[in-house]
Amino acid sequence: MQKILAITWLTWKAALRFRLFAVVGALLVLAVVGLPLIVKDDGTPRGFAQIILTYTLSAVTVLLGFSTLWISCGALARDIEECQIQVVATKPVARWQIWLGKWLGIASLNAVLLVLAGACIYGLLVWRAAKLPLMERAQLRQELLVARGSAREADNSAAINAETEQLLQNRLKSNPGIAADLNEVRKQIREQVASDFQLVPPGYVRQWNINLGTDVGSLRNQPLQLRVKFESADHNPNGTYVGLWEIGNPDSTNYAALPPMSLAPDTFHEFEIPPNLYSDKGVLSIVFVNQNNVSLLFPLEDGMEVLYPQGSFTANFIRALGIIFCWLVLLSAIGLMSASFLSFPVAAFFSITLLITAFSTNTLAETVDLGTVTTGSTPAPGTRSITDTVFIPIFKGMLDVLNLVEKFSPIDALSTGRSVPAGELAAAFGQIVVLFGGAFAAIGIYLFSRRELAAAQNQ
Amino acid sequence: MPVAELNPKVETANPKSAEIVVAVRGLTKVFTDFWTRPKARAVDNVDFEVRRGEVFGLLGPNGSGKSTTVKLILGLLNPTRGHIQVFGHSPHHVRTKERIGYLPEESYLYRYLNSRETLDFFGNLFQLSKSERQNRAAQLLEMVGLGKTQTRPVGEFSKGMQRRIGLAQALINDPDLVILDEPTAGLDPIGCREVKDLIIALARRGKTVILSSHLLSDVEDVCDRVVIYYGGKIQAAGTLKELLSEPDTLRITTPVLPRPTLERVLEIIRKDAANGEVRVDNPTQNLESYFLAVVEKARQAAHETSGAQSGARVAAYLRGGVEEPAAGEKMLERLSLPQSARETVAPVAPAAPSEPRVDEKKLEALGKPEPVVTPQKEPEQKPADLSQANDKLSSLLGDKK
Repeated sequence: MQKILAITWLTWKAALRFRLFAVVGALLVLAVVGLPLIVKDDGTPRGFAQIILTYTLSAVTVLLGFSTLWISCGALARDIEECQIQVVATKPVARWQIWLGKWLGIASLNAVLLVLAGACIYGLLVWRAAKLPLMERAQLRQELLVARGSAREADNSAAINAETEQLLQNRLKSNPGIAADLNEVRKQIREQVASDFQLVPPGYVRQWNINLGTDVGSLRNQPLQLRVKFESADHNPNGTYVGLWEIGNPDSTNYAALPPMSLAPDTFHEFEIPPNLYSDKGVLSIVFVNQNNVSLLFPLEDGMEVLYPQGSFTANFIRALGIIFCWLVLLSAIGLMSASFLSFPVAAFFSITLLITAFSTNTLAETVDLGTVTTGSTPAPGTRSITDTVFIPIFKGMLDVLNLVEKFSPIDALSTGRSVPAGELAAAFGQIVVLFGGAFAAIGIYLFSRRELAAAQNQ
Repeated sequence: MPVAELNPKVETANPKSAEIVVAVRGLTKVFTDFWTRPKARAVDNVDFEVRRGEVFGLLGPNGSGKSTTVKLILGLLNPTRGHIQVFGHSPHHVRTKERIGYLPEESYLYRYLNSRETLDFFGNLFQLSKSERQNRAAQLLEMVGLGKTQTRPVGEFSKGMQRRIGLAQALINDPDLVILDEPTAGLDPIGCREVKDLIIALARRGKTVILSSHLLSDVEDVCDRVVIYYGGKIQAAGTLKELLSEPDTLRITTPVLPRPTLERVLEIIRKDAANGEVRVDNPTQNLESYFLAVVEKARQAAHETSGAQSGARVAAYLRGGVEEPAAGEKMLERLSLPQSARETVAPVAPAAPSEPRVDEKKLEALGKPEPVVTPQKEPEQKPADLSQANDKLSSLLGDKK
């Protein structure tokens, strides 16, 4: 361990002596302090808090991400190009120890910078919150400066798929000619069925039964929040729609009808509901009565959500930083892996390209969804080109892999006051650091061990 | 032509020890381009062995394959063909590296570390305790004359100072095998002499030294055996005595003699040797010795310098706990090489006279009793002191391991 720590110490020395630490640290502080001054919020306490959390934390992540790639490529590639590695490698230190020492050095450097930036963000948030009137401060603590658990309706996919297949079979019986474009027909039928689950026509009601899960014991006497979003196809000159909300079982005492609310479409609304309205089994019933003369659509993914207090904001904030740190550790592994076999500029280019590709998951997802990379529309069965046959499964695999890393969204969670559970942090560590970081480390160490360290000067 | 030159494969065993430290067999290194097409054949089918306690020289012009051979021995390059063993292991064997010290051809050190941090870092790689690292760093920095520049970053050092700190890092682990690639490059004559003294002191302790250099005087002064590279191949190999001695020539050195005595001696010699084959002149010391004497005199007059200072004693842990000779006695040390080393050192001729025949005027001058004035006599010209010097050094350095 002494050898690995010596290499780690060396990485720190380089960062300090070349003023990398000071420059990146200053940029981070500048981003944290400067961004809230530049980006205007909507004037509400919730607005400014969201700006601080979303913009500054995103800026910190991007800044640290790029500097991590740069530093990690340089830490190894420059040592090889400037030949210092020739002296180190002739000492009794294995190549894997050199590699891990560098990794640990960059990771610890990132940890300190992230803690520094995180402390500034947290301090700024607490300081601004302390200056608010008591009521607003209490609301902020209830909605944003808190770790809230989230519960949604059970997944309807199985029911939608079953109904889709049944309708498809009926169509095939009545119109065998559509078999030529089966996938497209299935897709359209599914969208139609899914809309039935989402749409609330005028005068109709929609009921959600949401299981609050194992947390229900701790929710006694705790106020809950509903987070809702709906869409409307028709334009309303008032800009709002009236909704009537009934919570709980109308046949029991656990029931409340909320006063009518006028809500805007296409945006999230959060409002508090009285405590203890869930059933003995922890199921909360929510009914929406559409009193408008247009249909409203509540998206399956984020149309209805119940939020409940789960823990403190401070611990939540630390866990969110933990997930960001996991990403940075992965980036440093990618940078070091590239530098294990490439020169510094090529390694930096390679790493950044890899990162940009990873960020392009939307394009990948669209391509996979479309089923083709060559034409703009889904190919008919049996007409798929060789290119599509090869690339679509590869893209699908890439997407599955990338989703394992990208599915974590700590900044979104923080900016909506949602909990980042310890389990999610553990999963992030396992998937991002151990699985992906470990894979890049294994490849990097293998390449570095095979590399002729004195060959650089002969080229 | 030396006998060994006929067979470039060095097989001469070091009588001091049979243990083979480095064995190289059929070593070939071909550098290739990106498409693995051969670009340069740096080392071509090289064989040699280095035994414990030897000072082994790799001699050759620039680009002849010396440094490539060194890097192959250290595992920094992989051979295209052939086999290398260091202490019986592959060059990539990590534990073996605990016994190796390496000074590269350039000072490839971290520019942002100061000299003390540099030694501390490398000491950590050998898992030395903190106190041991501090102790060794202090001794080494004193030894290489950098005791007063410990907090300056290495990047600010002159080339000579960088060589000195490079040498110090190579010795932090008290290595059994020291590989020095152009160790005197960039050093002033004092530094060169100190490095050579150090090499001799290391060899005396049973350490093995591989010295790669294109400076003939470096190799000649300290090496027991050499291989001479050209074009990646070994062109000549053997002990310096084998390579340099002229068996059909004899030299007699005497104090200044009266002219009649000299005439009588020459008359006797001329009976068996043609006049053109007899040469009489004053031996001259080499420039290095003269320079060192002048500097020593100036130092005694306490002239200040802001650069690297002349190194002090060899670090105690490198001396193996015994005293080293005082600075003034280092000359004697050079004369009192171990028996085997002495045997291998060729009888270095003083600067050759321009006129090979006996010059009567010169003869007359030589016959006068006044000796030629020199700051210090060249000890190499006094073989009569060898046994005394040997005794003295034995008591100072102890027996070799």
